[in-house]
Amino acid sequence: MLRIAALLSLLFLLFLTGLGPIIWGDDALAIDTAALAQGASAAHPMGTDGLGRDVLARIMVASRLTVGLALLTTAIAVAGGLVLGGLPAVLGPRAGRLINGFVGLVVAFPGLLIALVLAVVFGSGGTAAALAIGVASIPSFARLTQTLAASVAGRDFIAAARVLGVGRVRMLYRHILPNIAEPLVVQATLGAGGALLAFAALSFLGLGVQSPGYDWGVLLNEGLNRVYINPAAALGPGLAVVLAGLAFNVMGEYAAQAFGGRSRVIRTRGRSSRPAPGPALRVRDLTVRYGDAVPVKGVSFEVVPGERVGIVGESGSGKSLTALAVSGLVEPPGQVSGDIEAAETAMVFQDPMTSLNPALRIATQLAEVATTHEGMSRRAARSLAVTRLTDVHIAQAARVVRQYPHELSGGMRQRAMIAMGLMGTPRLIIADEPTTALDVTVQKQILDLLREVSTTTGAAIVLVSHDLAVVGQLCSRVLVMYAGVIVEDLPVSRLTAEPDAGDGPAHPYTRALLAAVPDLTADRSRPLATIPGRMPSPLDVTGGCPFAPRCPRADSRCHAETPAFDGAVACWHPHTTEHVLKEESR
Amino acid sequence: MTALEFHGVSVRLGRGRRAVTVVDDVTLTVPSGGVTGLVGESGCGKTTLARAAVGLVPLSGGAIHPRSRVQLVFQDPYSSLDPRMTVGAAIAEALPRRTRSDEVSRLLDLVGLDPALAVRLPRHLSGGQRQRVALARALTARPEVVIADEITSALDVSVQGLVLNLVREIQRELGLTMLFISHNLAVVRYVSDHVAVMRAGRIVESGPVEQVLSEPADAYTRTLLAAVPTLRSAPGA
Amino acid sequence: MPDMPRHPWAHYLLRRATRFLISMALLVTATFAMVHAIPGDPVRAALGATASPELVAAKTHELGLDLPVWQQYARYLAALFSGELGASMTSGLPVAQTIADRLPYTSLLAAVALAVVMLVAVPLGMAMAAVTRGGRGRVGELLFTGVAGFLAVVPEFLLAVCLVALFAMGLEWLPVADVTGSMGPEFYILPALALAIGPAAALARIVRVEGLQVLASDYVRTARAKRLPARVVHLRHALPNLLTSALTIGGLLVSGLVAGSVLVENVFAWPGLGTALVEAIRAKDFPVVQGVVLIYGSAVLLVNFGVDLLLGRLDPRSVIGES
Repeated sequence: MLRIAALLSLLFLLFLTGLGPIIWGDDALAIDTAALAQGASAAHPMGTDGLGRDVLARIMVASRLTVGLALLTTAIAVAGGLVLGGLPAVLGPRAGRLINGFVGLVVAFPGLLIALVLAVVFGSGGTAAALAIGVASIPSFARLTQTLAASVAGRDFIAAARVLGVGRVRMLYRHILPNIAEPLVVQATLGAGGALLAFAALSFLGLGVQSPGYDWGVLLNEGLNRVYINPAAALGPGLAVVLAGLAFNVMGEYAAQAFGGRSRVIRTRGRSSRPAPGPALRVRDLTVRYGDAVPVKGVSFEVVPGERVGIVGESGSGKSLTALAVSGLVEPPGQVSGDIEAAETAMVFQDPMTSLNPALRIATQLAEVATTHEGMSRRAARSLAVTRLTDVHIAQAARVVRQYPHELSGGMRQRAMIAMGLMGTPRLIIADEPTTALDVTVQKQILDLLREVSTTTGAAIVLVSHDLAVVGQLCSRVLVMYAGVIVEDLPVSRLTAEPDAGDGPAHPYTRALLAAVPDLTADRSRPLATIPGRMPSPLDVTGGCPFAPRCPRADSRCHAETPAFDGAVACWHPHTTEHVLKEESR
Repeated sequence: MTALEFHGVSVRLGRGRRAVTVVDDVTLTVPSGGVTGLVGESGCGKTTLARAAVGLVPLSGGAIHPRSRVQLVFQDPYSSLDPRMTVGAAIAEALPRRTRSDEVSRLLDLVGLDPALAVRLPRHLSGGQRQRVALARALTARPEVVIADEITSALDVSVQGLVLNLVREIQRELGLTMLFISHNLAVVRYVSDHVAVMRAGRIVESGPVEQVLSEPADAYTRTLLAAVPTLRSAPGA
Repeated sequence: MPDMPRHPWAHYLLRRATRFLISMALLVTATFAMVHAIPGDPVRAALGATASPELVAAKTHELGLDLPVWQQYARYLAALFSGELGASMTSGLPVAQTIADRLPYTSLLAAVALAVVMLVAVPLGMAMAAVTRGGRGRVGELLFTGVAGFLAVVPEFLLAVCLVALFAMGLEWLPVADVTGSMGPEFYILPALALAIGPAAALARIVRVEGLQVLASDYVRTARAKRLPARVVHLRHALPNLLTSALTIGGLLVSGLVAGSVLVENVFAWPGLGTALVEAIRAKDFPVVQGVVLIYGSAVLLVNFGVDLLLGRLDPRSVIGES
């Protein structure tokens, strides 16, 4: 829809500026002494001016000058802004800081004020005003170019090009400008709309286009003087200004959308109930959809109280979405279906920096759980917060509760997240990659803490991780996910067993995953085991086993029929069966 | 081939009173044609040391040799390739104009990619493929020394193996001197002959990889080793 | 991680104050340079072609324009520090007097408009964010973005014209400015509306977009994982993180309001600084232009400085977070 609006806007502007003066040029000059300064009539839909000229025709004719001057202004602003904003990248850090500092100071002043001051210098008149507004808009464009360039300059591909010896000028036009061109084009289009309005304002004040020339601003000024007699003469040029301004805006918005992309939206439907006793978590046929993509395809499992279960898989396996869906945190356009019965749940997320609210003290964030759900007084909740922080081994908890998240280290923040979960009485803790953002020594402490919490409170834990070893440290049971389904459910002891001994993992994917991870005893003389190919995307509709294309044991049946999950494994040729069969045949 | 030598290297970042010593008097030699692993936790200065070696960060003290023909492969293959440049253009950028297309095909072949991928944009490639392109691009400058900075930590485990095998192969085939940076001790052990352990800007311990990992002399190395999660921590149990 | 300065707040204050002073110096220098950048003889331009050469020479000498530039600059600075802004070239009235007479009208108008902007835009934007989160309420979203987008584009002076045409002339509900009589509160309604509607629409749009971002952040997800009531999630967790950006943009809006007020005042024949500025520019009465631009510029800088200090208090990260 926006696309059509943008196209219409473009045609509208092209028509006015291209054909306006040709079609209405004569009418705009025709002096009708019989109809001086008249109101709207059939002959003159917007009335006539003091010399009896048709106002509507004059508006149409003025469009070319108005839009042309707006474009000239924008060109000045963009060219100046690109030079001033791009110079720091070329001149190097010292001169760059100086220029950036100067632009930063100038940009604080209102553009129109600068334009008015410049109008004093350049004098009145169309070109002078274009120069004044254009120059006045340079700082903001320079600032935008700078910010955008700086955001690109920090990225690794710029560093990589520098290491390869790419020069500063080439860097600017080959690497930086192409990567910031889109927002600049959007901004320039919106800027043209702004320039048009600013120009109308200046002309309206009598500082822009001078008589006998006229643009919409001049017409507006003339019209306003006679607004009592003929309101249309004032509103007409005003309407023209707004329409043209909108036209530029619509085109800018369309450009932004075309460059940015936007996702479609679907409503959520999902149920989650929380019965008290029974398993800590029961999931039946959980499916998550995003439009045509189905990243989680009918997952079922149970977690008993006190149990520590790991969900492992590579990116795209659907493990994190499963955890989010269990907590009811899948946002639209995601669509959740299936049955979820979860006991009282606490969540621990991957990045403790972004998961804590930066604007609130630790005390507030912890205490509100108890005041909201347990009906505790603020004072009691606060002292409970101190107790819980002490429980997760945070020293000087009374001081920490008064601090903000940014004052804590990563490990401390993750401890605070866990303490926050313990403010209620969770029977299930869902931890989504809780240690991925942490160092290995801190990781061990957090895993130890989670184990301790589970032992002392009896809460079950669901640990989502890409790292089999991390899961092995904490959990007793592992669910292996691949392409949105659970392919194997096995005790951790089977992961750690020698795969050749017969009681290793049953699914070929689990085995391949294990073999691919080097550990401190791996044979350095042999290449690492790898898994060829890649995981099917959530958009793919697979007939047959999703792992079949990468599986060394796959046969025609694997490619044709999807193996059902039998409670332990979803595979036509699991390793254990083969082992047992061998035994039997002997 | 050349050895990569750091002599008393220090790096201070920031300006004025806010400056912080990130790398503190590091002396380290990566033997010619060998692979030395550099391990340490985030913020210990290992990435800054790598950036200093290729001139992205100025030294505040000491010297690094050689100053040229050193290339760096970055951690995140999603941000280290220009999203607007085809794979071929990215690789060709540092090549002399005449030999470009042949050389691009040769390099893609070397890193195990189909030369037809040269016309693709990075967004059409998987993480593992991108990291191989990044490696190929580093090789265009015919470096004698390559620094690999956490090149597999953004990748899935099944892809990690492919990239690690490739790095070992190419290093041996071209006789490259390599500094292999990672926070993952198991990965470093697998790839490197020597290893150096870094903490708070200093090298606390270095030596042959088997020796350092089996008989760590420094307390911090022991802490690191004890923290590595492993599935076969008690073999046979 | 950089070392924390010992007194982060004092450090922050010092940096902001330095920045403010440098900006003021820039402003003063720019207004001085303006006169010298005027092509030809500024005195002749101001007095008109009919003025006698003797008069022009006398005026030039009186203003010190025959002195070397650096001496003029020194005189200009010295005069400023003693509160002396010169006299109008056309009326001969002291510029300081003109400003003192007109500033109250302009600042009160801007303050009323700003209050309207903040009180309307922040709650409205936040509510729209909550209602349209994650693609809900498509109709509401379209209506809001459409109307707000339209209002944000309509320039203040056009709105002013429309309001005059509709309320003052068409319906005759409200008066327009009357320079002769006293200006009661009813005189402020139309100009304040004309000034506030555009920025309010723009700010409401930005607050909505920021609000959507905040509502999609990890810490709001945490808050919802804690099963807090929607009211607490929105007011306690989302709003403070929104206020900082709303305030930053609010500060920027003030400079927009200042510019807009020049135009709106001219439509309503408001006895403020804006009308004085435009008259002075038309008449090339540069001492008045200098004085009024100085006042406008320093007002904007002062507001920015105040917003910075407020932000430092509201958002604990901004004090040490920046380099």
